[in-house]
Amino acid sequence: MEARTNAMDPEKRELTRRSFLKMVAGSGLLLGLSGLLGGCMEDKSPAYVGGKGWLPYQYDLPGHLPAQVRGRVPIDPDNPSLSRDDQKCVLCGQCLEVCQSVQSVYGYYGLPVIDETICIHCGQCSLFCPTGAIRERDHTQEVLAALADESKFVVVQTAPATRVSLGEEFGLPPGAWVEGQQVAALRKLGFDAVLDTNFAADLTVMEEATELIKRIKGEAKRPLPQFTSCSPGWVKFCEYFYPELLPHLSSCKSPQQMLGALVKTYYAGRRGVDPGNIVSVSVMPCTAKKFEARRPEMNASAKYWQRQDLRDVDVVLTTRELARILKEKQIDLAALPEEQYDQLMGEKTGGAVIFGATGGVMEAAVRTAYFFITGEDPPASFLNLTPVRGLAGVKEAAVEMPGVGTLRVAVCHGMANGRKVLEAVRRKETPWHFVEFMACPGGCIGGGGQPRTAVPPTDALRAQRIAALYRADASLGKRSSYENAELAALYQGFLKHPMSELAEELLHTRYYSRADKLRPLSLAG
Amino acid sequence: MGRSQAVLVDITKCVGCESCVVACRLYNDLKPGPRAGGEAKPDGPAELAPDRWTVVQSFRVEKDGSRVRRFVKRQCFHCLDPACASACFAKALQKTPEGPVVYNEKLCVGCRYCMIACPFEVLRYEWDKPFPRVLKCQMCLARIANDQMPACVSACPTGALTFGDRDKIIAEARQRQYSRPDLYVSQIYGLTEAGGTSWLYLSDVPFERLGFPTGVPERPLPEYTWAVLRWTPHLFVGWGALLAVMYLYNRRRAVAHSEEEMYAPVDAEE
Repeated sequence: MEARTNAMDPEKRELTRRSFLKMVAGSGLLLGLSGLLGGCMEDKSPAYVGGKGWLPYQYDLPGHLPAQVRGRVPIDPDNPSLSRDDQKCVLCGQCLEVCQSVQSVYGYYGLPVIDETICIHCGQCSLFCPTGAIRERDHTQEVLAALADESKFVVVQTAPATRVSLGEEFGLPPGAWVEGQQVAALRKLGFDAVLDTNFAADLTVMEEATELIKRIKGEAKRPLPQFTSCSPGWVKFCEYFYPELLPHLSSCKSPQQMLGALVKTYYAGRRGVDPGNIVSVSVMPCTAKKFEARRPEMNASAKYWQRQDLRDVDVVLTTRELARILKEKQIDLAALPEEQYDQLMGEKTGGAVIFGATGGVMEAAVRTAYFFITGEDPPASFLNLTPVRGLAGVKEAAVEMPGVGTLRVAVCHGMANGRKVLEAVRRKETPWHFVEFMACPGGCIGGGGQPRTAVPPTDALRAQRIAALYRADASLGKRSSYENAELAALYQGFLKHPMSELAEELLHTRYYSRADKLRPLSLAG
Repeated sequence: MGRSQAVLVDITKCVGCESCVVACRLYNDLKPGPRAGGEAKPDGPAELAPDRWTVVQSFRVEKDGSRVRRFVKRQCFHCLDPACASACFAKALQKTPEGPVVYNEKLCVGCRYCMIACPFEVLRYEWDKPFPRVLKCQMCLARIANDQMPACVSACPTGALTFGDRDKIIAEARQRQYSRPDLYVSQIYGLTEAGGTSWLYLSDVPFERLGFPTGVPERPLPEYTWAVLRWTPHLFVGWGALLAVMYLYNRRRAVAHSEEEMYAPVDAEE
């Protein structure tokens, strides 16, 4: 009776059984909800911790099974040619596959590493990388800065192989011939002079063929077979793995470096430009050219002028980098009218054009060697040296040279093929006088700086680019390097003759063993 | 209960490709590191961070009179008797029977005692987060539980990382030292450090030159703390008992005092 009275009196309200139950149920619900929101109901056993992402399927194997493809190649932060964006890498292993199987670099040295990351800078990894994580080290800003500087005289040279691939970046089919458009685009960008590396390719042939003849005649006191030296990736490969065969390497610099040396000596003199004011840029299909231009000995112009601040080639752009600049500047390459290279160092022959294809250097050298030996133009068979053409890994040919006998030559591309040839030379089992090495499959047309039209690059693509080069060769009136008129003028007025003292100083070089940079595989544990 | 698993890092086989670092990021869905945009990083040790559970540090050191370059993979050592777990009263860090010492963010209260406890200074705190976590390598426990290797070990192309039963891993390390005594230093780092760890290292360069912490006691660190802390319950109970006794004593005195007052003559002063 008393409780009832209290319930009716709001001042003296007491807890009833009903309100107590309501309160307990409500607070229980509240606790349950907050517990759920706070994650109390979730599984907290350690097995559910971490691992919210994914890995490529080849790594999801039972622990005792080996993965078929693993990891990636090491790329040092100070690699002058290549860089990698870790955000894009998915550990697919394609870079490692090409470095090991096609180039025989990765895995061909003993561990532990000595002091440097072994790399020949060929850039094939950047062509095989499906996500674009690996690419050339970007030097576009340096070129744009030089072009913007009114006080600089910016000279550009373009390699034989870029004119059959640059168009691919602008929607044209593989092998589309864009030589004239490329020249027009470079002028539009503001380069003060547009020169052709083909001119230097002809020059290389003159020097290299002369050297070959001297070796064959025993005047050079250097061993046979002579190896080509145009491919800087191949040169570094030889310096690493076969230093005892370095005397076989031709002392000729690559066309890029020959032209670079001439730009700041011969060209600067003829055009009356201060060589210190020249910025020498090259557009190459190759990432190793960036490394080559940085080699300390590539400063012939500095020695010539007695000025320590000169480098023969200041900046190297890959085909892809040039395409990036053109796109940035909204220059549509395909829509440009064709233009001609500058005079003085812009003429070329068919022999230079085919430098971009595997076997091309060899064919061009043989044409000119024939002329040097016989004093006559080579016969038609020398102008279509089909045994050294095509995409076979190692190719051989034997040509009859009147007065000398049979000249035996070999051609290889991709350093795994090169390694087979080198092992044979090391065993002294080869009959060859002259061997062409190209680091990249297909030669420069398949260079590491070329457009990524197909990933990974296919032989069909390479064949289309090569075919375009041979078509251009066949269509040119002058097909042998000695026919280059501007080259004749260069010799007449400056160098005097192939392998003259000045030519040796500007166009030839020496190589250094890098054997101390790696542990031979046979001695590795 | 599974057997304790371990990883052997053979520093002589590392080429610095950082496949392990990328695998860790991919598998654990960590945000990309600072090497964005393909830019070169300055040469020097990369540091662990909340979003970088493993790094490969580059060292150029003297060896036999010449300069050599060595790469050292760093991550949590996963101690056999982890000090971090012993310091964690919330059980956010736990040693699992499989070997990994794992962190469970749902249990963490953010006190960071674990960071102070770790002898290798591995744990990293999310200083910039409103609800920060203490993050580190989990040794891919879910993969190990699924009979797979940790992500980093799976991705290593040179065999610098070997995963397996800890006893067999130690035997493998000793076998390598035995077959190439000219190459390796005699120490196996992690064999006894902090009472033994689940990540063991072989090297041809003394470990102190490669930035490894020296002077880590061989006795497991929790043993040191346990030497003191094991008295906690006794102290707790004893202190309580002491206080109870004092209370009773005081109460008895108070009662006695009040009785004295009660029965005291009212007119004592009169």
